Amino acid sequence: MDWISSAFWVALIAGALRQTTPLLFTALGGMFNERAGIVNIALEGIINFGALAAAVTVQQLEAPYLAQDPNVRIWWIPWAGVLAAILAGTLTAWIHAVVSIRYRADQIVSGTAINMLSFGLPSIVLIFLYQNATASKEVVHRVQSIGQYLSSVPGARDFFSTPVGRVLDQSPLVYLAFILVPVAYFALFKTPWGLRLRSVGEHPEAADSLGINVFLMRYHGVLLSGVLGGLAGAYLSIDQINQFIRLMAAGRGFIALAALIFGKWHPFGILGATLLFGFAEAFRIQVEGAGVLPSPILQAFPYVLTMLVLAGFIGRARPPAAIGKPYEK
Amino acid sequence: MNRVFFPLIALASAALMAISPWFVAKRAFGGRGVLLAPFGVVNPSNARGPWPELGWLGTMFALWAVLALVSVLVYTLTRGQKRARWLYVLGGLGLLLFGLEAYLFYQAVAEINTEALARGVSPRRLPLRRYSLSFGLYVQLFYALFLLVTARLNQPKGQRILVRYRGVVVPAVSMVLAMVVGGAIVWLLRPIPGVREPLSTYAYLVAKLDLVTYTFQLLFGPVLSLSGLFQSALIATPLIFTGLSVAFGFKAGLFNIGAPGQLIMGAIFAMLVGVYLPGPRFFVLPLAIAAAALGGAIWGAIPGWLKARFGAHEVINTIMMNYIALSVMLLLLSKNEWSFFGQKVYLPFKFPGYEPRSYEIRPEARIPMLHKMLGFDGAGPGELSLALPLALVLMLVVYYIFGRRLELGRRVVYALGAAVGGYVLGGFLPGIPATMSPDLASVRLNGAFVIALFAVAFYNFYMWRTKYGYELRAVGLAPKAAEYAGVKISSKLVLTMAIAGAFAGLAATHYVLGGGIDEYRLKQSIPYNVGFDGIAVALMGQNTPIGVTLAAFLFGVLLTGGLQLNLQLGISRELVLVLESLIVLFIAAGGFLPRYFTDPLLAAEALREEEA
Repeated sequence: MDWISSAFWVALIAGALRQTTPLLFTALGGMFNERAGIVNIALEGIINFGALAAAVTVQQLEAPYLAQDPNVRIWWIPWAGVLAAILAGTLTAWIHAVVSIRYRADQIVSGTAINMLSFGLPSIVLIFLYQNATASKEVVHRVQSIGQYLSSVPGARDFFSTPVGRVLDQSPLVYLAFILVPVAYFALFKTPWGLRLRSVGEHPEAADSLGINVFLMRYHGVLLSGVLGGLAGAYLSIDQINQFIRLMAAGRGFIALAALIFGKWHPFGILGATLLFGFAEAFRIQVEGAGVLPSPILQAFPYVLTMLVLAGFIGRARPPAAIGKPYEK
Repeated sequence: MNRVFFPLIALASAALMAISPWFVAKRAFGGRGVLLAPFGVVNPSNARGPWPELGWLGTMFALWAVLALVSVLVYTLTRGQKRARWLYVLGGLGLLLFGLEAYLFYQAVAEINTEALARGVSPRRLPLRRYSLSFGLYVQLFYALFLLVTARLNQPKGQRILVRYRGVVVPAVSMVLAMVVGGAIVWLLRPIPGVREPLSTYAYLVAKLDLVTYTFQLLFGPVLSLSGLFQSALIATPLIFTGLSVAFGFKAGLFNIGAPGQLIMGAIFAMLVGVYLPGPRFFVLPLAIAAAALGGAIWGAIPGWLKARFGAHEVINTIMMNYIALSVMLLLLSKNEWSFFGQKVYLPFKFPGYEPRSYEIRPEARIPMLHKMLGFDGAGPGELSLALPLALVLMLVVYYIFGRRLELGRRVVYALGAAVGGYVLGGFLPGIPATMSPDLASVRLNGAFVIALFAVAFYNFYMWRTKYGYELRAVGLAPKAAEYAGVKISSKLVLTMAIAGAFAGLAATHYVLGGGIDEYRLKQSIPYNVGFDGIAVALMGQNTPIGVTLAAFLFGVLLTGGLQLNLQLGISRELVLVLESLIVLFIAAGGFLPRYFTDPLLAAEALREEEA
């Protein structure tokens, strides 16, 4: 069995980290809004809009520079794309927040509407910009891996060609996703803000009687999910590859929700759950060509896994008590 | 409605009238047009004349401005019955003005055309062939109607109609809001067609508004022709099924996002029976249809069971089932040979060739085209058979007139019996000679449409005429109370999802057995996304049978019009998807209307306050 080799494991682990990253961003975002008592099915749409905004922003910004000199590289352009993705994600989340907090809509219907919007609207934008309904122009300025960023440091090149180095040679966004796990834990469980956020998701009436602004805290939760979902989108479109493709999220928003439930609405649980899904996906990619199983079966695997997780075959958890219920003063 | 909104609406209407095209005298393919606006003719593409010079447009605008001003004065100075009477008069005046303008315009156009005919121009090359009313006139019509509605609301107990018909008000307002946002998207993203040189600000505004108007004229265009209506019915057929599927779940408090997957499974089952089961038509065809329902039912029942047994939320599970169904279809259709751990396995389902598709459905299992069912054989002269129409009429007559006094089960049986009798009788009667135009014959509307209508009837019957439907609605409204009253919630969940899935699965009859797109096969390109459209259909139709049918038809019209939109303005059909999702979003938000439109309890309270 030659496919079980050092190269295989390096590729598997590195691939798993890459596949985990968007799920981790999204699931952490989902954690904040579900902890605040809002269901956010719209994560899928937030990722899509984030990815679209990132790719389009980078392409529009780099075009004039590239017209002058095709080989020019400007360090801030990818980061402007990341910022645009955050803004787009936040804006999308804000729509969901307004409709479901202010207008007390059914949160699942509202989220579904935003997802449907993210299937249709990007095509119109893409046709307007690129006369192509399914994909954006490929961009030159991607977020690069830290190996490329550090290539001028002496010794770095040697380190990043060792097996360990190749696993660690990831984009800064991958590192950011994993750093956010303890940060989220600290914010949620060790700060007054986190206590308030959790309290409006558990018992908004009680929180309100203590003078906590329930609506405001819920906006915080939902908008944070927009920020993080936007980051996941940017990671997909200008980091993993170099363009936006229609339906880019490909179910990641929903899988992230499953990971969130599997991870018991806790940052470290979410880390474990998303790593599981990430490994499953990386494993699928690694063995796809080897003819072990038909590729449609392998493709269905994460979805079956999600259903098993939700059915509670692998651990059960208690959701925030007030989740999905609009709050009325 | 209050003292701020009313003057604002008046002002906005007047402003829109000032900057919008009132008529389009000449329209070329691709959206270029000669626009007649109150303050001049806008001709961005420098088309050559002649067109009617309507000197009275400025005067008319002044009249409208006065009308708006008077209506504001009336609104601020009077109240109650008096205000209502005045507004009725003003609204009526507005309608008169509108009619007068339209008449004058058509008159002017006809004048130019007859003059050209007199000069010997052939009727196919008239100077003005495509002309229409435009945004300014629509605004006027809406403003007049708005005045009339406000008048009605200002009568004693007038507000009650709004609350009573909130099932129509919320979708209608949401639709209008979605169109406003969709129009804004078009305004932002599309250039003015055929523009040669920079336009003045006024001309720019007029031309942009014309672009937006033309977009929606194209979208709603299919209602104007018989073949357009047939085409819309064709597209509406699967939407009726998936809309019913989602609505059925909603009634029980379940959100079925799994219609796409259920449709795929229905299609696979229907394909398996339709391709591989030999036998006579009366045996194979019903079985193939039942198989489609069964496939969808199984795919729906699984998330239902997971919810009943493990409390797993059906939303994510149905979404996951969509992806899994897609994988199953890929497994069957994309290759004949797969390797399982090095073991070669052969699957016989894929038709040889590049495209992933199944073998053809056997002729016995195909659902006939609707024009065949009506007795025509393709385009050309034929005889309109009375079998189907007579069956339909007799069924309705027996059900609604003779069946009134009967107990329900018998009523249905008699009605169905009458339908069969009518079909047989109609078959023996001589048909009516008629001619089928090639336009109509080319529309692939098939018997699945009839099945869809039966599905609507079944939905109505099951939901409001049976004990099961009553229990199901009770579970949807108050699960705890229903359980206390003796409803077994868990089995109800599974059954509901199974029936919802069966509805979605039946949509496959249209595509696979009915050849709704082009071939009698299961193809990988089967548009399973209509399952998502079902959400919009169900919400727009407020989960009622008539509502779902009308909403499906509305989206059928929009999707058909979307084709023209793509051809003429280069705007992607995705605009329809955007409109749909906005409609869903706005309906979820209750159309941004006051709470008593969405909350039955508050509505009852509002009605009671009106009484007092």
